[in-house]
Amino acid sequence: MEYFLSEEQKIIKSLAKRISDEYVSKVAIKYDKEGIFPRDILDLLAYTELTGVYIPKEYGGFGGGVMEMCLVVEELSRNCAGVAVSYAATALGAYPIILYGKEEQKKKYLPKIAKGELIAAFALTEADAGSDVSSIKTTAEKKGDYYILNGSKHWITNGGEADVYVVFAVTDKSKGPRGISAFIVEKGYEGFYCGKKEDKMGIRSSSTTELIFEDCKVPKENLLGREGTGFIIAMKTFDRTRPGVAAMAVGIAQGAYEHAIRYAKERVQFGQPLSSFQAIQHMLADMYINIEAARSLLYSTCRMIDSGAKDFSKESSACKVFASDVAMKVTTDAVQIMGGNGYVKDYPVEKMMRDAKVTQIFEGANQIQRNIIASEIIKEY
Amino acid sequence: MKILVCIKQVVDPEKVEYNVQTKTIKRNAQHLMNNPADLSALEFALRIKDVNKDVHITTLSMGPVECESKIKELIEVGCDSCVLLSDKRLAGSDAYSTAYALAKAIENLGNYDLILCGESSLDGETSIVPPQIAEYLNIPHISFATNIKVFDLQHVEIERKFKNQLFKLKVELPALVSVKKDSVFLRLPKLSLMIKALSYTPQIISLDDLENFDFSKVGAEGSKTSVNRFVEQSFEDVKCEIYEDIEDAQIECIANLVMRFL
Ligand SMILES: Cc1cc2nc3c(=O)[nH]c(=O)nc-3n(C[C@H](O)[C@H](O)[C@H](O)COP(=O)(O)OP(=O)(O)OC[C@H]3O[C@@H](n4cnc5c(N)ncnc54)[C@H](O)[C@@H]3O)c2cc1C
Repeated sequence: MEYFLSEEQKIIKSLAKRISDEYVSKVAIKYDKEGIFPRDILDLLAYTELTGVYIPKEYGGFGGGVMEMCLVVEELSRNCAGVAVSYAATALGAYPIILYGKEEQKKKYLPKIAKGELIAAFALTEADAGSDVSSIKTTAEKKGDYYILNGSKHWITNGGEADVYVVFAVTDKSKGPRGISAFIVEKGYEGFYCGKKEDKMGIRSSSTTELIFEDCKVPKENLLGREGTGFIIAMKTFDRTRPGVAAMAVGIAQGAYEHAIRYAKERVQFGQPLSSFQAIQHMLADMYINIEAARSLLYSTCRMIDSGAKDFSKESSACKVFASDVAMKVTTDAVQIMGGNGYVKDYPVEKMMRDAKVTQIFEGANQIQRNIIASEIIKEY
Repeated sequence: MKILVCIKQVVDPEKVEYNVQTKTIKRNAQHLMNNPADLSALEFALRIKDVNKDVHITTLSMGPVECESKIKELIEVGCDSCVLLSDKRLAGSDAYSTAYALAKAIENLGNYDLILCGESSLDGETSIVPPQIAEYLNIPHISFATNIKVFDLQHVEIERKFKNQLFKLKVELPALVSVKKDSVFLRLPKLSLMIKALSYTPQIISLDDLENFDFSKVGAEGSKTSVNRFVEQSFEDVKCEIYEDIEDAQIECIANLVMRFL
């Protein structure tokens, strides 16, 4: 379908596609199997300047928005969502700084993130605070020129690999969600450690770890926004990054669909290629319809966000939910079409099905997204 | 330091279409690619530029205006300027005529410290254009380089592999070096350069822009060679024969293969 991307957006998509097809596809299965962090691919993205597509021009980026970020994530995901999420998690860590950073903070971190010299991460989730974000327990106590952080975070993408972490902690327990604040924590700060690395079902080349804060000293100038605005910062960031998860889902689905079609045309049973059976044709047609619908919703949402719209929570949630459900369905069907070969690790669709699952879970499980959408639409009418 | 890289736009072997009657290959824009060996030469030029900031890289191509779209790709990786010598009177030029035309264009474009070429083009495979350009320009020439480094502003160091031996040579500039294909691969483009390439048009020059040009030396008329026969090679009937550890049979098999292609 023609999506009327600008010339510049087409270039970004084609460059990301080239890296994905020429480099990511070669390492996807190996990195997945061995859990290798794709630093070499991130270096290529940095060299080609794709690391800065969503960073404002005045901080050394390309000056694009959510759309540009999503185009890169989508193309990388066509071959490996693990690589894509390692790239996207930096955007998740950078967006709070873009949106709420003070001038000095932006100048200090964004140019280096744009150049790919710094990898970022976003640390909100805790063992007992997943979907219920506001119940986080990590504390930040102000002492002189520092905040002292204590507690731990779970499931942090780019954990251990990132140089800069946006960490959420409670500064005033009595205020509930209004007592949460966000901090920029650098790798190497005293009292900041990386804990256990998760052994995941999918996106295995990405790093997901625990983070531990033991009297971690964070300079007071590293507070993002004002004290007590952490919850808003997290939610406003998610509004802009959920489309990134949708882009990942669209990319995974597109990759699985392409493999399924090629396989269906080659594999002969009952004297004819699988693609001649109507049962298979309808599955392929449904894949196409669903992927195009998901991509249309994703791109429209990106355009809405980048046009400067004020409120887009439900649109952002809708594209995440729809695209991730599509990815799960399409990858499952791709495995089905490929039969036994779909179920073994020699072909990439087995990995794609595992990778697709997480898009329904992270950055807010799909149930939570439906809650967000429902509360908005009920308010509207 | 000024580096000039000669880059030919050739027809992608996977998309090639030809006309058996006229014994020519169809050249339309969608089927063109930059000659791989020339891109190895360009990568060496870019590596020299990576460490010597005042290096200026110009590329020179000869071919129809359709080549323009491929020339933009050279800007995307970091070339400073691109020149396309395009003139209908050049059609049908062989290696000798091509070398003459390129040498004249180089003379007219100005003084270059280093001229780089690929070892050969995919479609011609003669490897004689680079040494002939050097002869016309009366500068030293080194062929089949596998690595090039700037020694000082007057010299470059060249590595060259021949019969499994590595030769290291130092040559005084100006000089022409032809680069072995696959000795290095061209880097990826950068986003900002791709955006720059969007609005970039190469400088297109014609034979009328070249001083003291001898028109009788170019085109099909001016060429020393001509295409005699055009053979369509079909690979469909090529059978794979496997011989294991049977020396005589292997020798016979190789002899048969050689005979078949003679
Ligand atoms: C690979 C991976 C990477 C991650 N990366 C990051 C990261 O970089 N930074 C970060 O902060 N977090 C990250 N997370 C955490 C992620 O955002 C959470 O896992 C997610 O929000 C769900 O929380 P939970 O796992 O605690 O599930 P729970 O909150 O325990 O929910 C479990 C399930 O219960 C259901 N459920 C929960 N609440 C409701 C409700 N109110 N209504 C209906 N159903 C409900 C949903 O089906 C949900 O899937 C990551 C997670 C994974 C798996």
